Amino acid sequence: MPNIKIFSGSSHPDLSQKIADRLGLELGKVVTKKFSNQETCVEIGESVRGEDVYIVQSGCGEINDNLMELLIMINACKIASASRVTAVIPCFPYARQDKKDKSFFDIPVDNLYAEPAVLKWIKENILEWKNCIIVSPDAGGAKRVTSIADRLNVDFALIHKERKKANEVDRMVLVGDVTDRVAILVDDMADTCGTICHAADKLISAGATRVYAILTHGIFSGPAISRINNACFEAVVVTNTIPQEEKMKHCSKIQVIDISMILAEAIRRTHNGESVSYLFSHVPL
Amino acid sequence: IFCFSSVQRPADMNHTKGGLVIFTANSHPSSREMGKRIAERLGVELGQLQVYQEANRETRVQIQESVRGKDVFVIQTMSKDVNTSIMEMLIMVYACRTSCARSITGVLPYFPYSKQCKMRKRGSIVTKLIASMMCKAGLTHLITMDLHQKEIQGFFNIPVDNLRASPFLLQYIQEEIPDYRNAVIVAKSPASAKRAQSFAERLRLGIAVIHGEAQDAESDQVDGRHSPPTVKTTGAIHPSMEIPLLIPKEKPPITVVGDVGGRIAIIVDDIIDDVDSFVAAAETLKERGAYKIFVMATHGLLSSEAPRFIEESAIDEVVVTNTIPHELQKLQCPKIKTVDISMILSEAIRRIYNGESMSYLFRNIGVDD
Repeated sequence: MPNIKIFSGSSHPDLSQKIADRLGLELGKVVTKKFSNQETCVEIGESVRGEDVYIVQSGCGEINDNLMELLIMINACKIASASRVTAVIPCFPYARQDKKDKSFFDIPVDNLYAEPAVLKWIKENILEWKNCIIVSPDAGGAKRVTSIADRLNVDFALIHKERKKANEVDRMVLVGDVTDRVAILVDDMADTCGTICHAADKLISAGATRVYAILTHGIFSGPAISRINNACFEAVVVTNTIPQEEKMKHCSKIQVIDISMILAEAIRRTHNGESVSYLFSHVPL
Repeated sequence: IFCFSSVQRPADMNHTKGGLVIFTANSHPSSREMGKRIAERLGVELGQLQVYQEANRETRVQIQESVRGKDVFVIQTMSKDVNTSIMEMLIMVYACRTSCARSITGVLPYFPYSKQCKMRKRGSIVTKLIASMMCKAGLTHLITMDLHQKEIQGFFNIPVDNLRASPFLLQYIQEEIPDYRNAVIVAKSPASAKRAQSFAERLRLGIAVIHGEAQDAESDQVDGRHSPPTVKTTGAIHPSMEIPLLIPKEKPPITVVGDVGGRIAIIVDDIIDDVDSFVAAAETLKERGAYKIFVMATHGLLSSEAPRFIEESAIDEVVVTNTIPHELQKLQCPKIKTVDISMILSEAIRRIYNGESMSYLFRNIGVDD
């Protein structure tokens, strides 16, 4: 493909390499480092004049440092006369502090969905998927969960918090029947994992035979890993929007779905001016 | 040097307007020192605010009082996590803007990334990027000190007050160095000659300039190009159209222009960060006969091994202001001394809030300072 360059920030070089491999490209030369005063320094190592540039940087790890690195890289490419600069941000930082929304940006935003990859994983890895039940760990995820349940033609359930009185701790209430079923918890991110571990306990005590958790972004901060190790999950499945190698060493229940092909395909389609919406319901091979 | 009017009580300050609120948006405790000092001098309490980093390393800022209709001053010092300090400030400023503050003034004693204010190869002018981000977040005014390049003021489309630390450093020289009249102000490279000159003038002393090998660290080098170089193709260009290549500079061996024999040498600069060049300059000055060597700089970044190198060098004392917290470095190196400049920052805040003239703070500041 002519006139395209892909650069990787330092947050997730592994995913960037996978994306580049799928597109049959070499990653662009760039030096990212920190001066001794901890200021970030970025130097693009090849010409980007007139090129369609894609910068892959995930909002994980040291988020402020990675964000600054991304901003400086975008700035550097623009100053070096790139024809277009697109940021590929698999896990968007600060997404929970304000509802990240298309309306907050003045530029085109493509919010891709891991759903097709999740559906594929379920069909390939859970034997009894035809009789499973998709569960949302909170009321807010109902739409996400019903969408998956409908595509698999299975039932869904949800757990919601009920606060009886002002000073009482929230009670978790299961809405739906999970008796003798394989339960699959689905959510967009796993941060400290308090909620999903409680949800798993709830599901087991309500009669579920096995509990899986499928979460798009595996942030796993704080006590998350030890909580998962002590909880009753069959497996905790996340995508590789965030590097998981280190965490997998400490927790054997974590499995990873590779979404590099979705991002690679999105890049290819954007570069060729093709529709990206195909990816909202299909996983590229 | 400065005679300030007596500190006004909070009640006086709220006369016609919505009121004054001062916040310090740093999560790092040592970075909050400056904010506390300034608030003390102004006789106000710091605004109620929670700034912290969540488990997933995202910064969270929660303002716990109303800023509607108020004049907000956000004091932000740069901790060793520069990017986090910047993010804290941006989130704070944006939060104040969306909460209808009347005005938001940033007080950044040291402006971050100011050494990346020039185009280097295929880099980015980060100072401009940060200036744009701050203005976009809602900053209406900026107070800072001794900008690395004065032109950085032009990166902003809001008023910028670039205060000077030199009166404080000059006062230190006159009060703490007994035989300062036998001193020579030294520029460790031609780049800081103008600054050395402006100090020397005010003290009625001579100057010396060091020039030669082993000069500035990479971040200060402007490589003479302003865009990526053209690819050199051997046969493709007609000989008469060949663009003449810039002759590479040949650095002479280290020379000291000016006499320092039998004198105290006072090296002045705006930033002291990596100290290799300072240590080398001190060696040279000692060889040329200087019997005592001081280094005076506004911003003491003193990164990584700097304290150790200073301790082992020919430098007798390093004097910096408290624009950047450096308590740790002081513990590692007793040669480091601090000059407090919080009074000029608090005076600037007071004058801006009351709509008074700032020119008093700039008297006796020459064009080259």
